[in-house]
Amino acid sequence: MATALIDGQQVDFESGETILEAAEKVQIKIPTLCHAEDLSIYGGCRICVVEIEGERLLKPACATKISEGMKIKTHSPKVREVRRNIFELIVASHDISCRLNCLTCSRNQSCELREIAADIGANQTRFDPIDKGYDDDRSSVSIVREPNKCITCGRCIRKCEEVQGVGIFTMANRGPATVLTTFGDKGMGNVECTNCGQCIHACPTGALHEVYHYDRVWDMLKDEDKFVVVQTAPAVRVALAELFESKPGTIVTGQMVAGLKRLGFDRVFDTNFAADLTIMEEGTELIGRIEDGGPFPMFTSCSPGWIKYIEHFYPEYLENLSSCKSPQQMFGAVAKSYYAQQHGIDKEDMVVVSVMPCTAKKFESGRGEMDQDVDFVLTTRELGRMVKEAGIDLVNLAEEDYDPMMGESTGAGSIFGSSGGVMEAALRTAYELITEEELEELDFEPVRGAEGIKEAEVEIKGMTVKTAVASGLSNVGQLLEKIKNGEEYHFVEMMACPGGCIGGGGQPIPTNQETVEERMKAIYEIDAGKKKRKSHQNKEVQQLYEDYLGAPNSHLAHELLHTNYIKREI
Amino acid sequence: MLNFLKKDPILAIEDYDFTAFKQVLNTPAENIISDIKTADLKGRGGAGFPAGVKWELARKEKSAEKYVVCNADEGEPGTFKDRYLLENSPWQVLEGILISAYVIGAEKGYIYIRGEYVKPIKIFNKIIEKAEKKGLLGENILGSEFDFELELIRGAGAYICGDETSLLNSIEGQRPRSRIKPPYPIQSGLYGKPTLVNNVETLAAAVEIINQGVETYTALGTAESNGTKLISLSGEVNEPGVYEIEFGSLTIREIVEQLGKGIRNNGQLKFVVPGGVSTSILPQEKLDIPYSYEDIKAAGSNTGSGAMIVVSEENDLIDLMLNVAEFFMSETCGTCFPCREGIRQVCYLLENAKERGYLTQRDFELITDLSQTTYLAARCGLGQSSLNFVTSVLEHYRDELLQGGGQ
Amino acid sequence: MARANLLERLHTIQDTYGYIPENEINKLSDQFDLPRSKVYGTIKFYSMFYTEPTGKYMVRVCDSLSCHLNDSEGLVTAVKNYLGIADGETTEDKKFTLEVVECLGHCGEGPVMMVNDQIYTYLNENRAIQILKDCM
Repeated sequence: MATALIDGQQVDFESGETILEAAEKVQIKIPTLCHAEDLSIYGGCRICVVEIEGERLLKPACATKISEGMKIKTHSPKVREVRRNIFELIVASHDISCRLNCLTCSRNQSCELREIAADIGANQTRFDPIDKGYDDDRSSVSIVREPNKCITCGRCIRKCEEVQGVGIFTMANRGPATVLTTFGDKGMGNVECTNCGQCIHACPTGALHEVYHYDRVWDMLKDEDKFVVVQTAPAVRVALAELFESKPGTIVTGQMVAGLKRLGFDRVFDTNFAADLTIMEEGTELIGRIEDGGPFPMFTSCSPGWIKYIEHFYPEYLENLSSCKSPQQMFGAVAKSYYAQQHGIDKEDMVVVSVMPCTAKKFESGRGEMDQDVDFVLTTRELGRMVKEAGIDLVNLAEEDYDPMMGESTGAGSIFGSSGGVMEAALRTAYELITEEELEELDFEPVRGAEGIKEAEVEIKGMTVKTAVASGLSNVGQLLEKIKNGEEYHFVEMMACPGGCIGGGGQPIPTNQETVEERMKAIYEIDAGKKKRKSHQNKEVQQLYEDYLGAPNSHLAHELLHTNYIKREI
Repeated sequence: MLNFLKKDPILAIEDYDFTAFKQVLNTPAENIISDIKTADLKGRGGAGFPAGVKWELARKEKSAEKYVVCNADEGEPGTFKDRYLLENSPWQVLEGILISAYVIGAEKGYIYIRGEYVKPIKIFNKIIEKAEKKGLLGENILGSEFDFELELIRGAGAYICGDETSLLNSIEGQRPRSRIKPPYPIQSGLYGKPTLVNNVETLAAAVEIINQGVETYTALGTAESNGTKLISLSGEVNEPGVYEIEFGSLTIREIVEQLGKGIRNNGQLKFVVPGGVSTSILPQEKLDIPYSYEDIKAAGSNTGSGAMIVVSEENDLIDLMLNVAEFFMSETCGTCFPCREGIRQVCYLLENAKERGYLTQRDFELITDLSQTTYLAARCGLGQSSLNFVTSVLEHYRDELLQGGGQ
Repeated sequence: MARANLLERLHTIQDTYGYIPENEINKLSDQFDLPRSKVYGTIKFYSMFYTEPTGKYMVRVCDSLSCHLNDSEGLVTAVKNYLGIADGETTEDKKFTLEVVECLGHCGEGPVMMVNDQIYTYLNENRAIQILKDCM
């Protein structure tokens, strides 16, 4: 242990620690912008510069290792002046104008520049704003990029490359012409983007946000000829409250249902219902593969970011994917057939809206294979906007229940929102279906938690079922490489976003390790509180098979609930 | 005239005998390093770091793989002395590379020549080819135990690659932005291995130190500036060109008048840029100082790359400041905000001032703030020095620039 | 060492095609196992790499300080007027691309101009235009 002085405070540190890390230990906050905990060090913004005694120049706290006897001033007059100057330069290059006003920005509540401004006492902007004149990138159906707002901190580049292992972004050009773009400036919709939306969480400004559907949804809600149903994904209920100043992990299922009813949706249903349905289909598929001897491993298919990833990067494994549609799409297909028929609603008049923690779901709903079963996809953030716009005090609403027929769910459906959840839910059902015995211990601890790759072996009727779970696409890629190199599994759950859907690209900002862990706790809390915790116990799902589908993997089930995949170019 | 570095061209390998290198092969490497240290040979690329110290550190690094890189990405406006050496003394440059590689224990090296230098690239390609044939590159060079492979890399139009860490990124095929130091290239350079980067002139001078003997070399120059230096003289003089001078033997004014033969068209000298556009100007009245590291430093500037640009009274100062600022604006890598945005704003302010014909008090205040911020907070040497020219012109010609009403 | 020689490979491709076509970037991305965005980003840093075809003659006129002091601005204007194009543009007949560039390293012989690989020094407007005429 060595010691140094930061602002007169003695600090003990381990070798290799940065000034930024050491300062935090003595309760000193150094402002940062291009730095992010889960990403490599960039040292570009220079907002975090500090003064070190004996050094002529200021040093970036994020990139400078603290050393024995160092005397550091983190907020000296020189440092404060330089920070303010840099901030003024950022603001001038951030294209503040009437058109790109802070008030209408996607990040009007969560812009890091505003935080920095407060932290450094910014009190003037002396430079003329620069009109960079770039066109917005609207090539993607999931994500919009507004390059004029981009400050080229490179966080999205690093997130996409380091955390997601995809790397669609790059800096192009140099000097003030430096711009963040995609290969050949083709736009996010025309390259190997998985639509996961993690770049949005990385962005400190409003340069990246989802393609908004909420105005279209408002239109549908006011159209009296439309029968508008909504489904809510498992991960939304444990995150939505964050948009209303509640702590991460606050559960607002009933309040959310009440809020959606107030917004005017004709029916409020649960994607968790469809998750239970998915387990019936996917579990049956898995049992079938076990009986037929493969192909193994079987991959889950609920995460559309993962699906696009495998289509681009590992198309040789497409036949390993479960043919099941995701819960979102199963829901849409069932709503527009079963529910519509049972209630005499013309399919054409029914509008299915999803509330998802996900940006890739927007892409998924538009896939040709999906037959427009889901019409609009709102992110958790978009639902938050609608609730605010309607003046609803969401967190204080009296709780209400989902509507019947597609509103019931088990604990197994609930945990789809967390990495490992689909695996656990599938195992609970597969175990009982195969053994025809009741499963005693429902909690499969080895597949729970925030680690990127988890493995577990389960004994089912004398057979050792080898499973693995990965979340975050670079972990997914690692696991795939392992499989390529001969590692054998029977069943593998893959989720594009770190932590699973609770860390999805459509979730409230900030979404980071801390918020993801809190949301994860809440997900398992919901599961633990349920009387029924196995998908095959879902009465409404049972009813659906009885009245309509017949049996899992039946002909009709295949027609409605299963899909196929496409090999995509890189 | 001295001719350590400025010599008649030798292009045929038969005419070059590699005396220094042969001597090095038979001398303990420590002794060579000690000579270079005693000679106090400073890096001639601009940063001026003692070459002997660099060599010693590189030799001490324990690694199975080490690299040497000859930095021939000469790109600072006003600098053309490395081109001169590459075109006229390529064998001496090669010899310097061989010596540095042998001394630190590297078996692989690169010479990185800027893409615009078409002729030097052609010449050096042939040099490598001939040297390989003659056993000067490859295995068991000249019958010794020393193996060394040299590869030429062509730059592609990026001044920042002259910064050694950017140069390494460029060789590695990455976007050539500077790396965060530490670690220094000596510890972790190309592909994470210890890497010695030396400028062309530094390597050529090292050869001469060995050839002439360190005593001869140190007998030349001043207290803190030993030996000789190539000066690229350009701008508004009658006879621009590359000159070799002994440190301290001439004042800057004498260089302009005796070597450059004075200002053309009988113009009046206004100022001299002593070390390339990244250095501060020296106004006419400060030019009676000997040409040496210490005297130029004392006068408030820097020897830099030895690019001396002579400027007469017949110029619009705002136009010149804008020209230099625009150079840095188009060459900054764009990674760090103060450099990228700071220079952009300075250009913007100067453009407006050029149109207006004078600078306002506000321009002064803003440009001064930006220079200070860029100097203190930029990520690399390019950024830190980018506004030296502008700031020093502002400092020396304030009243003139405000003329026409600065209030 | 994935990226070793990328730069030289890019030069070779450009020497062959006159620019770096998209499918070649795809191939490099495969060979070097790099996202193609990274190869693209590297190419776009350098002023001498092109992702679009340029004119048959690449005309580069230096306007850095030493040349500027020798009226390179006048030279630039003359060349622009003669070719009828601005900085960075290519003539309609695809013969000439004009670039006003930073230092070419012939500061003692300014103003200077490069046409493809050939450097021309001590230029005046008439000589520069004659050189361009000779390319026709």
